[in-house]
Amino acid sequence: MSVFEGFRFRRVLSPIHQLDPRAKFFYVCTVFVIAVMFNQLMPLILLFLIQLPFVLAAGVQKEWIRSMKGASFLALMIFLFNFLFTYFYREYPTFPPSSSLMEYSLAMTLRFIVLVESFSIFFLTTSPDRLGLALEQSHIPYEFCFAFTTAVRFVPVLAEEAQTIMDAQKARGLELERGNFIKRIRNYIPILIPLIVSAIRRSLELAEAMESRAWGATNKRTNLYVLKIARGDYILAIISIGMLVLAVYVWLFMREQIPSLIPWITG
Amino acid sequence: MDDILCESRTVNKTLAIINTLDLKYTYPGGTAPSLVDVSLTIGKGDYVILTGPSGCGKTTLCRCLNGLIPHFYSGKLEGEIEVASLMVPEHSIYELARHVGLVFQNPENQLFALSVEKDVAFGLENLGMPREDMRARVDWALQMTGIYDLRERAPHELSGGQQQRVAIACVLAMKPDIMVLDEPTSFLDPLGAQKIFEVIGDLNKKLGITVILVEHRLDLASEYANHVIVMDEGKVVLDGKPLDVFDSESARLIGVGIPKATRLYQALRQGGVHLDRVPVNSQEATLLLQEVLTRDRG
Ligand SMILES: Nc1ncnc2c1ncn2[C@@H]1O[C@H](COP(=O)(O)OP(=O)(O)O)[C@@H](O)[C@H]1O
Ligand SMILES: [Mg+2]
Repeated sequence: MSVFEGFRFRRVLSPIHQLDPRAKFFYVCTVFVIAVMFNQLMPLILLFLIQLPFVLAAGVQKEWIRSMKGASFLALMIFLFNFLFTYFYREYPTFPPSSSLMEYSLAMTLRFIVLVESFSIFFLTTSPDRLGLALEQSHIPYEFCFAFTTAVRFVPVLAEEAQTIMDAQKARGLELERGNFIKRIRNYIPILIPLIVSAIRRSLELAEAMESRAWGATNKRTNLYVLKIARGDYILAIISIGMLVLAVYVWLFMREQIPSLIPWITG
Repeated sequence: MDDILCESRTVNKTLAIINTLDLKYTYPGGTAPSLVDVSLTIGKGDYVILTGPSGCGKTTLCRCLNGLIPHFYSGKLEGEIEVASLMVPEHSIYELARHVGLVFQNPENQLFALSVEKDVAFGLENLGMPREDMRARVDWALQMTGIYDLRERAPHELSGGQQQRVAIACVLAMKPDIMVLDEPTSFLDPLGAQKIFEVIGDLNKKLGITVILVEHRLDLASEYANHVIVMDEGKVVLDGKPLDVFDSESARLIGVGIPKATRLYQALRQGGVHLDRVPVNSQEATLLLQEVLTRDRG
């Protein structure tokens, strides 16, 4: 679960937090596209490093490092899978595995890390509130935006409730950590059922409260807040476009010249 | 003679803001009706306390007042109910919401935004109010309920008492004529409850909002009320001025939490000491006792 820890928003004031979620999302998408375009180590390392100033400017180093740690196990799995499968599929009887295989597996791993890195920056520096607002102003139907913000709002409440139910059931002698895999999953049923029942009751009460406050009175809903695109957002958008143009240029004309880094590493 | 009666009734009708006649309601799938022959008249600007043992139909009556019954809960509704000159079954919940605000028991499940002011604005957003007007209205509601400083906090980080004040602000922002509060203090500590009663009392006194407060803690709440309704098993069993209701024998039998000052009055009366009036709170009781004592000495 620590991967998700690294995505949890904390209210801080920084230039990065102030940016429009739409501009940040555009940036994340750009990084995503560039990361998928290349499967050599060098461009991916560059892509990884380019994002560090954002982390520092936002002052979310601690959370960011935690999310990276959380992702490291998955990253290791990705490396092993890529390495072993490709080795047995392509090169098997020859030994040792070729250096290009090494580079390829490392690059795939780094691609994953870059993706986690950029999404983590996005979620760490964007309040769910502003994200919901950005969704609304992107003409996504209000029902979806409302569902999104409400879900974010109730995640901690439900987590707390799950903990309470778990404690109550343990106090009655329920043992969660016993038995084989199937048995352990079955152990969670006495926790899930009260949790679901209470969530349904809660949602009914919510619906009542919404109705009582004129939900659906008009389809020209207004909003207390409005997102305005500021200078920083334009700058981020220009940086993103610049990165994209550069990446496409390199991909088209210089792909073959990108040096392999493995000889450097292995010496 | 008839003329005068007729006239007084029409006058009464214009001053009344809620009128029900033989209201009867059964929840879908329910065997027994939850409201039986409820006929009530509530005046404009009244402060009404609605009380009675749990399960007697108080929440059900509240749901009728803002149209959740019959629009959200189906089931069988008979009789007439008119609120703020609107026949409830003929108007949608959002139309009624401009006139009747409902505050629920559990503060947690009626706040759904990620900041207090956004929550307070929710109803106004739904009505499509322009942003500048909305800003002013939200600030006003926050100030009236004394939570202006909390406006940027997340509702789920607040204490129960603060949350309940946010819930009141949410409803107040829509400037309703009537505010219905269903056991708003049952999740709160006594101090938080006291604060809520003060806020509600202010809304009634300063803004003239008609208040219907469902409450068990009559000691604290009855200070402001001018009308008490006691229900039992879906029926209205007592309906009148606080003193008359609290002093009646049936209130005691039903187990209404009669204010301690009134109980003191009753005990004194049994012992042969007659106070001039029925007190509802300790200050009043003190005054009356002092009067009696000085009179005895003199
Ligand atoms: N949603 C519902 N569906 C079916 N029956 C209900 C529902 N809510 C309340 N009741 C029933 O209606 C009766 C009155 O309940 P309620 O109005 O909640 O009482 P009070 O608020 O005075 O405690 C109770 O017998 C209860 O079981
Ligand atoms: Mg109730």
